[in-house]
Amino acid sequence: MHIADGIIDTNICMAANVASVAIIYLTGKNTPMEEIPRMGITGAALFVASLIHIPFAGTSIHPGLIGIAGIILGKRAFPVIFTVLLFQSLIFQHGGLLSVGINSLNMGAGAYVAWIIWKQQRIPEYVRAMAGGFAGIIIPVLLMTFEFQLSGYGKGIIFLFSVYLIVATIEGGMAFFVVRFFRNIKSDILS
Amino acid sequence: MKHSFIDKYSELNSLMHKLDPRVKLIMVFLGIVAMVSETPGNIYPFVFYGAVILTLILLSRIPPGFVLKRLFFVSPFIIMAALFYPASLMLAGEYKFVNPQAEAINIGLSIFLKAGMSIILLIWLISTEKFHALLHGLRKLRMPRLIGIISALMYRYVFILADESLKTTRARDSRSPGKLKMNRIKVYSNQMAMIFLRSWERSKTIYDSMLSRGFTGDFKDMKELELKRNDILISVLIVLVFLSIRVFIEPGA
Repeated sequence: MHIADGIIDTNICMAANVASVAIIYLTGKNTPMEEIPRMGITGAALFVASLIHIPFAGTSIHPGLIGIAGIILGKRAFPVIFTVLLFQSLIFQHGGLLSVGINSLNMGAGAYVAWIIWKQQRIPEYVRAMAGGFAGIIIPVLLMTFEFQLSGYGKGIIFLFSVYLIVATIEGGMAFFVVRFFRNIKSDILS
Repeated sequence: MKHSFIDKYSELNSLMHKLDPRVKLIMVFLGIVAMVSETPGNIYPFVFYGAVILTLILLSRIPPGFVLKRLFFVSPFIIMAALFYPASLMLAGEYKFVNPQAEAINIGLSIFLKAGMSIILLIWLISTEKFHALLHGLRKLRMPRLIGIISALMYRYVFILADESLKTTRARDSRSPGKLKMNRIKVYSNQMAMIFLRSWERSKTIYDSMLSRGFTGDFKDMKELELKRNDILISVLIVLVFLSIRVFIEPGA
């Protein structure tokens, strides 16, 4: 789901980088000092957890955990996601240096939608968790589809991206189990 | 446990390794901008970009086999993206190719070259500089302060959590030998939740210990970076070469 450099129009990537920096300032300003170590170590946990590969249908998938990041970190999710993506592009070349911004906007939007869903207290908790995990993948995919079309890719990209519905469903299931684990072991993470 | 997956070969001693990390970051960024802003379907300039990148790799004494191996691991993603463009246009029947095969191959190949060469430049960057020095360089280049602090913390704890990940993987394997058939998602999710939980518990202790050592929101960086004449000369030369290829090499010349 990481867009590499050279795939999307350069102007879109540049604009996304500017927008990302603006969002970092908006969501990160007035961050209490005691919250910053938590953001750093949660970023490290996201980075490491995404390296675990789950065998699936003869291949393997790695979790994005974007929905979980939104549920746990709320509005502070964006700066953490940006940093994780910067690490992934520099260390593993997943994504790119120029496309860190566009990838952050896509995945950050997924995390924020997951957070908004999580805040709807009227809906049962496990449904919110599943929907949050699902949204954490499907929102970035929808945005990617839009960006690919802006860059000249045809409408056929919609069919190609539909495969991500399976991945989003798996992430929804994972978010359900992760939230259930937290609720049973240490529920204050979810507050 | 030692983890060499981050910046293997960054300890070599070459002209490229000695360059200032800020200069390398700017060079790589501008090099990528020059390459990815080429007209879609324009393949010819990539012969020259390739020659420059190969020279950089040889000058830095990084084994070319290592670079190709790293590229190989990432290549499925970029091959998929390269196939997306013509496949997507054809699937929707939106574009009538005059010579479908040649045009589709051309467009796909140019996307593959842009992405592939950008990735090689990133491999070169991480192989010629220690990762923490790159982060230091990014902070000096005025990346947002919050990202600077988060990245410094992440770098410190990513190794500890990688060890936690290995431990939890070992525990998972010992409790469920062989291939998991049922509850696979549940087992892997619980493992990830455990990694999160341990990191969460640890963050409070970390914050207290940072405060006790006088943490005020800024990390005392390693030695101050000093820009030398060599740094400026070499970087300006390389950036000029990239920009000259971008400006002067005509499509299909």
